[in-house]
Amino acid sequence: METIKINALCKAYGDVQAVNNVSLSVKHGEVFGLLGANGAGKSTTIECILGTKKFDRGQISILGMNPQTERKKLFERVGVQFQESKYQDKITVEELCELTQALYKQPSEYTELLKQFNLLNKCKSQVSELSGGQKQKLFIILALIPNPEVVFLDELTTGLDAKARRDVWKYLSNLKRKGLTIILTSHFMDEVETLCDKICILKKGTCIFYGTVKEAIAGSPFEKLEEAYLWYTDEEDFDYESI
Amino acid sequence: MKVFRTMLKTELKLSLRGMDMFIFAICMPVVVTILLGIIYGNKPAFNGAEYTFLEQSFGAVTTIAICAGGVMGLPLVVSDYRHKKILKRFQVTPISPAMILTVQVVIYVIYSIASLLLIYCVATLFFDFHFIGSWLPFLGSYFLVIVSMFSIGMMVGGIASNIKTAGVIASILYFPMLIFSGATLPYEIMPTTLQKIADILPLTQGIKLLKSTSLNLMIDSVIIPIVLMSVITIICIGVALKFFKWE
Repeated sequence: METIKINALCKAYGDVQAVNNVSLSVKHGEVFGLLGANGAGKSTTIECILGTKKFDRGQISILGMNPQTERKKLFERVGVQFQESKYQDKITVEELCELTQALYKQPSEYTELLKQFNLLNKCKSQVSELSGGQKQKLFIILALIPNPEVVFLDELTTGLDAKARRDVWKYLSNLKRKGLTIILTSHFMDEVETLCDKICILKKGTCIFYGTVKEAIAGSPFEKLEEAYLWYTDEEDFDYESI
Repeated sequence: MKVFRTMLKTELKLSLRGMDMFIFAICMPVVVTILLGIIYGNKPAFNGAEYTFLEQSFGAVTTIAICAGGVMGLPLVVSDYRHKKILKRFQVTPISPAMILTVQVVIYVIYSIASLLLIYCVATLFFDFHFIGSWLPFLGSYFLVIVSMFSIGMMVGGIASNIKTAGVIASILYFPMLIFSGATLPYEIMPTTLQKIADILPLTQGIKLLKSTSLNLMIDSVIIPIVLMSVITIICIGVALKFFKWE
Protein backbone atom coordinates (compact mmCIF):
# COMPACT_ATOMS: atom_id res chain seq x y z
CA MET A 1 0.00 0.00 0.00
CA GLU A 2 1.47 3.33 -1.05
CA THR A 3 1.38 6.17 1.44
CA ILE A 4 1.66 8.77 -1.29
CA LYS A 5 0.69 8.31 -4.89
CA ILE A 6 1.10 11.03 -7.51
CA ASN A 7 0.06 10.37 -11.05
CA ALA A 8 0.96 12.61 -14.01
CA LEU A 9 1.00 15.89 -12.08
CA CYS A 10 1.09 19.04 -14.23
CA LYS A 11 1.21 22.64 -13.13
CA ALA A 12 1.97 25.73 -15.20
CA TYR A 13 2.47 29.39 -14.26
CA GLY A 14 1.39 31.18 -17.42
CA ASP A 15 3.69 29.87 -20.14
CA VAL A 16 6.16 28.25 -17.76
CA GLN A 17 5.58 24.58 -17.11
CA ALA A 18 6.62 24.39 -13.44
CA VAL A 19 5.73 20.71 -13.00
CA ASN A 20 5.50 18.50 -16.05
CA ASN A 21 3.91 15.08 -15.89
CA VAL A 22 5.53 14.02 -12.60
CA SER A 23 4.52 10.66 -11.17
CA LEU A 24 5.85 9.15 -8.01
CA SER A 25 4.91 6.82 -5.21
CA VAL A 26 6.20 6.60 -1.68
CA LYS A 27 5.72 3.53 0.49
CA HIS A 28 5.06 3.45 4.22
CA GLY A 29 8.24 4.16 6.20
CA GLU A 30 10.22 5.33 3.19
CA VAL A 31 12.27 8.51 2.92
CA PHE A 32 11.76 10.13 -0.44
CA GLY A 33 14.01 12.91 -1.72
CA LEU A 34 12.93 15.47 -4.26
CA LEU A 35 16.07 16.96 -5.83
CA GLY A 36 16.78 19.66 -8.37
CA ALA A 37 18.26 23.12 -8.76
CA ASN A 38 16.52 26.23 -7.46
CA GLY A 39 13.44 26.78 -9.58
CA ALA A 40 13.34 23.17 -10.81
CA GLY A 41 9.83 22.75 -9.40
CA LYS A 42 10.43 21.03 -6.06
CA SER A 43 8.44 23.40 -3.88
CA THR A 44 5.66 23.71 -6.45
CA THR A 45 5.40 19.91 -6.57
CA ILE A 46 5.19 19.72 -2.78
CA GLU A 47 2.58 22.48 -2.62
CA CYS A 48 0.45 20.79 -5.26
CA ILE A 49 0.68 17.53 -3.32
CA LEU A 50 -0.40 19.32 -0.12
CA GLY A 51 -3.25 21.12 -1.84
CA THR A 52 -1.95 24.64 -1.08
CA LYS A 53 -1.52 25.16 -4.84
CA LYS A 54 -4.06 24.19 -7.46
CA PHE A 55 -2.66 21.96 -10.19
CA ASP A 56 -3.77 21.66 -13.79
CA ARG A 57 -3.82 17.89 -14.26
CA GLY A 58 -3.03 14.68 -12.41
CA GLN A 59 -4.12 12.63 -9.41
CA ILE A 60 -2.84 12.93 -5.86
CA SER A 61 -3.52 10.79 -2.85
CA ILE A 62 -1.90 10.89 0.58
CA LEU A 63 -2.81 8.11 3.02
CA GLY A 64 -5.61 7.29 0.61
CA MET A 65 -7.10 10.77 0.90
CA ASN A 66 -7.50 13.73 -1.42
CA PRO A 67 -5.70 16.69 0.18
CA GLN A 68 -8.12 19.22 -1.29
CA THR A 69 -11.38 17.64 -0.24
CA GLU A 70 -10.30 15.86 2.95
CA ARG A 71 -8.03 18.57 4.31
CA LYS A 72 -9.03 18.50 7.97
CA LYS A 73 -8.86 14.72 8.31
CA LEU A 74 -5.62 14.42 6.38
CA PHE A 75 -3.62 17.07 8.21
CA GLU A 76 -4.39 15.43 11.54
CA ARG A 77 -1.85 12.81 10.33
CA VAL A 78 0.54 14.85 8.18
CA GLY A 79 3.19 17.34 9.30
CA VAL A 80 4.56 20.06 7.04
CA GLN A 81 7.59 22.33 7.10
CA PHE A 82 7.50 24.92 4.33
CA GLN A 83 10.62 26.37 2.79
CA GLU A 84 9.87 29.82 4.15
CA SER A 85 7.99 29.42 7.35
CA LYS A 86 6.17 32.41 8.72
CA TYR A 87 4.88 33.18 12.17
CA GLN A 88 2.91 35.86 13.99
CA ASP A 89 4.68 39.08 15.00
CA LYS A 90 6.11 39.03 18.52
CA ILE A 91 5.16 35.39 19.15
CA THR A 92 7.48 33.38 21.41
CA VAL A 93 8.83 29.89 20.77
CA GLU A 94 6.70 28.44 23.54
CA GLU A 95 3.50 30.16 22.35
CA LEU A 96 4.02 28.99 18.78
CA CYS A 97 4.61 25.41 19.93
CA GLU A 98 1.68 25.47 22.32
CA LEU A 99 -0.63 26.84 19.64
CA THR A 100 0.52 24.23 17.13
CA GLN A 101 0.10 21.45 19.68
CA ALA A 102 -3.46 22.56 20.41
CA LEU A 103 -4.48 22.05 16.78
CA TYR A 104 -4.07 18.27 16.92
CA LYS A 105 -5.91 15.43 18.62
CA GLN A 106 -2.88 13.35 19.57
CA PRO A 107 0.17 15.59 19.44
CA SER A 108 3.68 14.94 20.74
CA GLU A 109 4.86 16.87 23.76
CA TYR A 110 6.66 19.91 22.36
CA THR A 111 8.96 20.36 25.36
CA GLU A 112 10.36 16.91 24.60
CA LEU A 113 11.04 17.94 20.98
CA LEU A 114 12.58 21.26 22.04
CA LYS A 115 14.89 19.35 24.35
CA GLN A 116 15.89 16.89 21.61
CA PHE A 117 16.72 19.78 19.28
CA ASN A 118 18.50 21.84 21.96
CA LEU A 119 16.01 24.69 21.92
CA LEU A 120 14.46 24.31 25.36
CA ASN A 121 16.40 27.31 26.70
CA LYS A 122 14.85 29.45 23.94
CA CYS A 123 11.27 28.81 25.10
CA LYS A 124 10.63 32.39 26.18
CA SER A 125 12.43 34.04 23.27
CA GLN A 126 10.53 35.60 20.42
CA VAL A 127 10.79 33.53 17.25
CA SER A 128 12.07 36.58 15.36
CA GLU A 129 15.10 36.72 17.69
CA LEU A 130 16.26 33.19 16.85
CA SER A 131 19.17 32.59 14.49
CA GLY A 132 18.49 31.13 11.04
CA GLY A 133 19.48 27.65 12.15
CA GLN A 134 17.41 27.82 15.32
CA LYS A 135 14.37 28.90 13.34
CA GLN A 136 14.91 26.03 10.92
CA LYS A 137 15.04 23.57 13.81
CA LEU A 138 11.92 25.11 15.32
CA PHE A 139 9.97 24.65 12.10
CA ILE A 140 11.09 21.02 11.85
CA ILE A 141 9.76 20.63 15.41
CA LEU A 142 6.43 22.22 14.41
CA ALA A 143 6.14 19.69 11.58
CA LEU A 144 6.71 16.86 14.07
CA ILE A 145 4.35 18.09 16.80
CA PRO A 146 1.26 16.46 15.20
CA ASN A 147 2.93 13.10 15.76
CA PRO A 148 2.50 12.56 12.03
CA GLU A 149 2.51 9.42 9.90
CA VAL A 150 3.85 11.45 6.98
CA VAL A 151 6.04 14.52 7.14
CA PHE A 152 6.93 16.96 4.36
CA LEU A 153 10.20 18.86 4.87
CA ASP A 154 11.04 21.48 2.27
CA GLU A 155 14.77 22.29 2.36
CA LEU A 156 15.32 20.25 5.45
CA THR A 157 18.64 21.47 6.79
CA THR A 158 19.31 24.72 4.94
CA GLY A 159 20.95 27.11 7.39
CA LEU A 160 21.94 24.47 9.93
CA ASP A 161 25.51 23.97 11.15
CA ALA A 162 27.26 20.61 10.72
CA LYS A 163 26.44 19.37 14.20
CA ALA A 164 22.77 20.38 14.00
CA ARG A 165 22.43 18.67 10.62
CA ARG A 166 23.77 15.43 12.08
CA ASP A 167 21.36 15.72 14.99
CA VAL A 168 18.41 16.23 12.65
CA TRP A 169 19.48 13.24 10.52
CA LYS A 170 19.78 11.04 13.58
CA TYR A 171 16.40 12.10 14.87
CA LEU A 172 14.68 11.54 11.52
CA SER A 173 16.36 8.15 11.07
CA ASN A 174 14.94 7.16 14.43
CA LEU A 175 11.44 8.24 13.45
CA LYS A 176 11.82 6.41 10.16
CA ARG A 177 12.57 3.20 12.02
CA LYS A 178 9.30 3.74 13.87
CA GLY A 179 7.46 3.90 10.54
CA LEU A 180 7.39 7.61 9.69
CA THR A 181 7.19 8.35 5.97
CA ILE A 182 9.28 11.38 4.98
CA ILE A 183 9.26 13.49 1.82
CA LEU A 184 12.07 16.01 1.74
CA THR A 185 13.79 18.37 -0.61
CA SER A 186 17.46 19.11 -0.13
CA HIS A 187 20.47 20.62 -1.82
CA PHE A 188 22.91 18.52 0.20
CA MET A 189 23.79 15.25 -1.46
CA ASP A 190 25.46 13.82 1.66
CA GLU A 191 22.15 14.28 3.41
CA VAL A 192 20.26 12.62 0.59
CA GLU A 193 22.71 9.68 0.59
CA THR A 194 22.33 9.25 4.33
CA LEU A 195 18.57 9.55 4.58
CA CYS A 196 16.81 8.80 1.31
CA ASP A 197 15.62 5.43 0.07
CA LYS A 198 14.38 6.78 -3.20
CA ILE A 199 14.93 10.02 -5.08
CA CYS A 200 13.43 11.95 -7.94
CA ILE A 201 15.58 14.52 -9.75
CA LEU A 202 13.62 17.36 -11.30
CA LYS A 203 14.86 19.60 -14.07
CA LYS A 204 12.59 22.38 -15.33
CA GLY A 205 9.62 20.59 -13.87
CA THR A 206 10.33 17.25 -15.54
CA CYS A 207 11.49 14.14 -13.72
CA ILE A 208 14.86 13.15 -15.23
CA PHE A 209 15.74 10.42 -12.76
CA TYR A 210 13.57 8.27 -10.54
CA GLY A 211 14.90 5.43 -8.41
CA THR A 212 17.16 4.56 -5.48
CA VAL A 213 20.36 6.42 -4.61
CA LYS A 214 22.36 3.31 -5.64
CA GLU A 215 20.64 3.18 -9.00
CA ALA A 216 21.35 6.86 -9.51
CA ILE A 217 25.07 6.32 -8.96
CA ALA A 218 25.17 3.10 -10.99
CA GLY A 219 23.45 4.79 -13.92
CA SER A 220 26.13 7.47 -14.09
CA PRO A 221 29.87 7.27 -14.78
CA PHE A 222 30.62 8.50 -11.23
CA GLU A 223 30.93 7.02 -7.76
CA LYS A 224 29.47 9.79 -5.62
CA LEU A 225 25.86 10.97 -5.65
CA GLU A 226 26.86 14.61 -5.93
CA GLU A 227 28.76 14.02 -9.17
CA ALA A 228 26.06 11.72 -10.47
CA TYR A 229 23.43 14.33 -9.66
CA LEU A 230 25.33 17.03 -11.55
CA TRP A 231 25.80 14.64 -14.44
CA TYR A 232 22.05 13.96 -14.57
CA THR A 233 21.12 17.58 -14.38
CA ASP A 234 23.97 18.43 -16.76
CA GLU A 235 24.93 21.38 -14.65
CA GLU A 236 28.54 20.68 -13.74
CA ASP A 237 30.01 23.20 -16.16
CA PHE A 238 27.89 26.21 -15.57
CA ASP A 239 25.71 26.00 -12.53
CA TYR A 240 26.91 25.29 -9.02
CA GLU A 241 24.04 26.83 -7.15
CA SER A 242 22.57 23.43 -6.44
CA ILE A 243 25.53 22.47 -4.28
CA MET B 1 -12.55 23.85 22.66
CA LYS B 2 -8.87 23.28 23.41
CA VAL B 3 -7.95 24.79 20.04
CA PHE B 4 -10.20 27.77 20.69
CA ARG B 5 -8.90 28.40 24.21
CA THR B 6 -5.22 28.14 23.33
CA MET B 7 -5.58 30.19 20.20
CA LEU B 8 -7.60 32.86 21.98
CA LYS B 9 -5.05 33.10 24.78
CA THR B 10 -2.10 33.36 22.40
CA GLU B 11 -3.71 35.75 19.95
CA LEU B 12 -4.98 38.00 22.74
CA LYS B 13 -1.46 38.21 24.17
CA LEU B 14 -0.08 39.02 20.72
CA SER B 15 -2.73 41.65 20.17
CA LEU B 16 -1.97 43.34 23.49
CA ARG B 17 1.75 43.22 22.67
CA GLY B 18 0.91 45.04 19.42
CA MET B 19 -0.56 48.00 21.39
CA ASP B 20 -2.62 49.46 18.47
CA MET B 21 -5.92 48.09 19.68
CA PHE B 22 -5.16 49.04 23.24
CA ILE B 23 -4.80 52.62 22.06
CA PHE B 24 -7.72 52.75 19.61
CA ALA B 25 -10.24 50.57 21.41
CA ILE B 26 -9.41 51.10 25.08
CA CYS B 27 -7.74 54.51 25.46
CA MET B 28 -9.50 56.51 22.78
CA PRO B 29 -13.10 55.99 23.97
CA VAL B 30 -12.02 56.89 27.50
CA VAL B 31 -10.34 60.05 26.23
CA VAL B 32 -13.49 61.01 24.30
CA THR B 33 -15.61 60.39 27.42
CA ILE B 34 -13.32 62.55 29.53
CA LEU B 35 -13.31 65.33 26.91
CA LEU B 36 -17.11 65.30 26.62
CA GLY B 37 -17.34 65.30 30.40
CA ILE B 38 -14.97 68.22 30.77
CA ILE B 39 -16.49 70.26 27.93
CA TYR B 40 -20.17 69.68 28.64
CA GLY B 41 -19.98 68.62 32.27
CA ASN B 42 -23.41 67.47 33.29
CA LYS B 43 -25.22 70.20 31.44
CA PRO B 44 -28.52 69.09 29.98
CA ALA B 45 -28.30 67.88 26.38
CA PHE B 46 -30.45 70.83 25.30
CA ASN B 47 -32.64 73.36 27.05
CA GLY B 48 -35.26 71.50 28.98
CA ALA B 49 -33.79 68.06 28.35
CA GLU B 50 -34.16 65.51 31.12
CA TYR B 51 -30.77 64.01 30.47
CA THR B 52 -27.24 65.40 30.24
CA PHE B 53 -25.11 65.78 27.14
CA LEU B 54 -22.83 63.01 28.33
CA GLU B 55 -25.76 60.70 28.93
CA GLN B 56 -26.91 61.43 25.42
CA SER B 57 -23.46 60.63 24.01
CA PHE B 58 -22.89 57.48 26.03
CA GLY B 59 -24.36 55.08 23.47
CA ALA B 60 -22.33 56.61 20.67
CA VAL B 61 -19.03 56.53 22.56
CA THR B 62 -19.46 52.82 23.34
CA THR B 63 -19.29 52.10 19.61
CA ILE B 64 -15.80 53.58 19.14
CA ALA B 65 -14.18 50.36 20.29
CA ILE B 66 -16.57 48.25 18.22
CA CYS B 67 -15.72 50.29 15.16
CA ALA B 68 -11.96 50.21 15.81
CA GLY B 69 -11.92 46.47 16.42
CA GLY B 70 -14.48 45.31 13.93
CA VAL B 71 -13.80 47.51 10.96
CA MET B 72 -10.08 48.22 11.45
CA GLY B 73 -8.46 45.58 13.67
CA LEU B 74 -10.24 42.49 12.43
CA PRO B 75 -9.73 42.91 8.67
CA LEU B 76 -6.13 44.04 9.12
CA VAL B 77 -5.08 41.11 11.27
CA VAL B 78 -6.73 38.54 9.00
CA SER B 79 -5.27 39.99 5.80
CA ASP B 80 -1.90 40.41 7.48
CA TYR B 81 -1.88 36.73 8.45
CA ARG B 82 -2.72 35.85 4.89
CA HIS B 83 -0.03 38.14 3.50
CA LYS B 84 2.59 36.74 5.87
CA LYS B 85 1.54 33.21 4.85
CA ILE B 86 0.57 32.35 8.39
CA LEU B 87 -2.81 31.24 7.05
CA LYS B 88 -0.99 29.03 4.57
CA ARG B 89 0.69 27.28 7.47
CA PHE B 90 -2.72 26.86 9.10
CA GLN B 91 -4.00 25.42 5.84
CA VAL B 92 -1.82 22.35 6.32
CA THR B 93 -3.21 21.74 9.80
CA PRO B 94 -6.70 20.51 10.76
CA ILE B 95 -7.97 23.97 11.79
CA SER B 96 -11.00 25.46 9.99
CA PRO B 97 -11.16 29.01 8.59
CA ALA B 98 -14.24 29.64 10.75
CA MET B 99 -12.17 28.95 13.88
CA ILE B 100 -9.45 31.43 12.86
CA LEU B 101 -12.07 34.12 12.21
CA THR B 102 -14.04 33.32 15.37
CA VAL B 103 -10.98 33.68 17.59
CA GLN B 104 -10.25 37.11 16.18
CA VAL B 105 -13.90 38.15 16.51
CA VAL B 106 -13.94 37.10 20.17
CA ILE B 107 -10.76 39.10 20.84
CA TYR B 108 -12.36 42.27 19.50
CA VAL B 109 -15.59 41.56 21.38
CA ILE B 110 -13.48 41.40 24.54
CA TYR B 111 -11.93 44.78 23.69
CA SER B 112 -15.39 46.24 23.04
CA ILE B 113 -16.87 45.02 26.30
CA ALA B 114 -13.81 46.14 28.25
CA SER B 115 -14.21 49.55 26.67
CA LEU B 116 -17.94 49.68 27.51
CA LEU B 117 -17.26 48.90 31.17
CA LEU B 118 -14.41 51.38 31.33
CA ILE B 119 -16.45 54.20 29.80
CA TYR B 120 -19.31 53.45 32.15
CA CYS B 121 -17.00 53.55 35.18
CA VAL B 122 -15.23 56.75 34.11
CA ALA B 123 -18.50 58.54 33.33
CA THR B 124 -20.16 57.40 36.55
CA LEU B 125 -17.21 58.07 38.83
CA PHE B 126 -16.06 61.41 37.47
CA PHE B 127 -18.96 63.02 35.66
CA ASP B 128 -22.03 62.05 37.65
CA PHE B 129 -23.36 59.91 34.82
CA HIS B 130 -26.56 57.94 35.31
CA PHE B 131 -27.70 55.21 33.01
CA ILE B 132 -31.39 56.07 32.82
CA GLY B 133 -32.38 53.62 30.11
CA SER B 134 -33.05 49.93 30.33
CA TRP B 135 -30.06 47.61 30.17
CA LEU B 136 -31.61 44.71 28.33
CA PRO B 137 -32.69 46.54 25.16
CA PHE B 138 -29.45 48.53 25.35
CA LEU B 139 -27.32 45.40 25.45
CA GLY B 140 -29.43 43.88 22.70
CA SER B 141 -28.75 46.89 20.48
CA TYR B 142 -25.10 46.85 21.51
CA PHE B 143 -24.86 43.22 20.47
CA LEU B 144 -26.51 43.95 17.14
CA VAL B 145 -24.02 46.76 16.46
CA ILE B 146 -21.12 44.41 17.29
CA VAL B 147 -22.43 41.68 15.03
CA SER B 148 -23.07 43.97 12.07
CA MET B 149 -19.80 45.92 12.35
CA PHE B 150 -17.75 42.75 12.80
CA SER B 151 -19.40 41.06 9.85
CA ILE B 152 -18.27 43.95 7.67
CA GLY B 153 -14.74 43.49 9.01
CA MET B 154 -14.84 39.74 8.47
CA MET B 155 -15.88 40.23 4.89
CA VAL B 156 -13.09 42.72 4.20
CA GLY B 157 -10.50 40.56 5.97
CA GLY B 158 -11.77 37.40 4.33
CA ILE B 159 -11.55 38.63 0.77
CA ALA B 160 -8.94 41.45 0.59
CA SER B 161 -5.91 40.01 -1.18
CA ASN B 162 -3.32 41.78 0.95
CA ILE B 163 -2.90 44.07 3.90
CA LYS B 164 -2.69 47.13 1.66
CA THR B 165 -6.07 46.51 0.03
CA ALA B 166 -7.54 45.63 3.39
CA GLY B 167 -6.04 48.80 4.87
CA VAL B 168 -7.53 50.98 2.17
CA ILE B 169 -11.00 49.39 2.36
CA ALA B 170 -10.91 49.45 6.16
CA SER B 171 -9.96 53.13 6.19
CA ILE B 172 -12.71 54.03 3.73
CA LEU B 173 -15.21 52.33 6.02
CA TYR B 174 -13.67 53.23 9.37
CA PHE B 175 -12.99 56.94 9.28
CA PRO B 176 -16.30 58.17 7.82
CA MET B 177 -18.20 55.95 10.24
CA LEU B 178 -16.12 57.02 13.21
CA ILE B 179 -16.57 60.70 12.42
CA PHE B 180 -19.99 61.01 10.79
CA SER B 181 -22.10 58.37 12.48
CA GLY B 182 -21.93 60.17 15.80
CA ALA B 183 -19.39 57.92 17.51
CA THR B 184 -16.91 60.70 18.18
CA LEU B 185 -18.56 63.87 16.83
CA PRO B 186 -22.03 64.09 18.41
CA TYR B 187 -24.76 63.57 15.79
CA GLU B 188 -26.84 66.30 17.40
CA ILE B 189 -24.38 69.08 16.61
CA MET B 190 -24.14 68.18 12.91
CA PRO B 191 -25.97 70.25 10.28
CA THR B 192 -29.14 68.62 8.98
CA THR B 193 -27.68 67.84 5.56
CA LEU B 194 -24.79 66.01 7.15
CA GLN B 195 -27.20 64.14 9.40
CA LYS B 196 -29.06 62.94 6.31
CA ILE B 197 -25.85 61.64 4.74
CA ALA B 198 -24.81 60.06 8.03
CA ASP B 199 -28.12 58.20 8.18
CA ILE B 200 -26.93 55.95 5.33
CA LEU B 201 -24.10 54.54 7.47
CA PRO B 202 -25.13 51.40 9.32
CA LEU B 203 -23.34 52.59 12.45
CA THR B 204 -25.56 55.69 12.57
CA GLN B 205 -28.60 53.44 12.75
CA GLY B 206 -26.94 51.39 15.48
CA ILE B 207 -26.09 54.47 17.50
CA LYS B 208 -29.70 55.67 17.22
CA LEU B 209 -30.82 52.38 18.75
CA LEU B 210 -28.22 52.63 21.50
CA LYS B 211 -29.14 56.23 22.23
CA SER B 212 -32.85 55.59 22.52
CA THR B 213 -32.37 52.50 24.69
CA SER B 214 -29.87 54.23 26.95
CA LEU B 215 -32.13 57.26 27.39
CA ASN B 216 -35.46 55.45 27.38
CA LEU B 217 -36.63 57.46 24.39
CA MET B 218 -39.13 56.50 21.77
CA ILE B 219 -37.76 56.51 18.26
CA ASP B 220 -39.74 56.65 15.07
CA SER B 221 -38.94 53.18 13.99
CA VAL B 222 -36.98 50.37 15.56
CA ILE B 223 -37.64 48.04 12.69
CA ILE B 224 -35.62 49.86 10.00
CA PRO B 225 -32.30 49.92 11.90
CA ILE B 226 -32.72 46.33 13.07
CA VAL B 227 -33.59 44.99 9.63
CA LEU B 228 -30.87 47.03 7.93
CA MET B 229 -28.17 45.82 10.30
CA SER B 230 -29.33 42.22 10.22
CA VAL B 231 -29.29 42.15 6.43
CA ILE B 232 -25.77 43.62 6.36
CA THR B 233 -24.64 41.01 8.86
CA ILE B 234 -26.02 38.04 6.95
CA ILE B 235 -24.64 39.19 3.60
CA CYS B 236 -21.19 40.01 4.96
CA ILE B 237 -20.73 36.78 6.92
CA GLY B 238 -21.93 34.78 3.94
CA VAL B 239 -19.44 36.48 1.63
CA ALA B 240 -16.62 36.14 4.19
CA LEU B 241 -17.01 32.39 4.58
CA LYS B 242 -17.76 31.68 0.93
CA PHE B 243 -14.78 33.59 -0.45
CA PHE B 244 -12.29 32.96 2.33
CA LYS B 245 -8.78 32.73 0.88
CA TRP B 246 -5.87 31.03 2.62
CA GLU B 247 -3.32 32.71 0.41
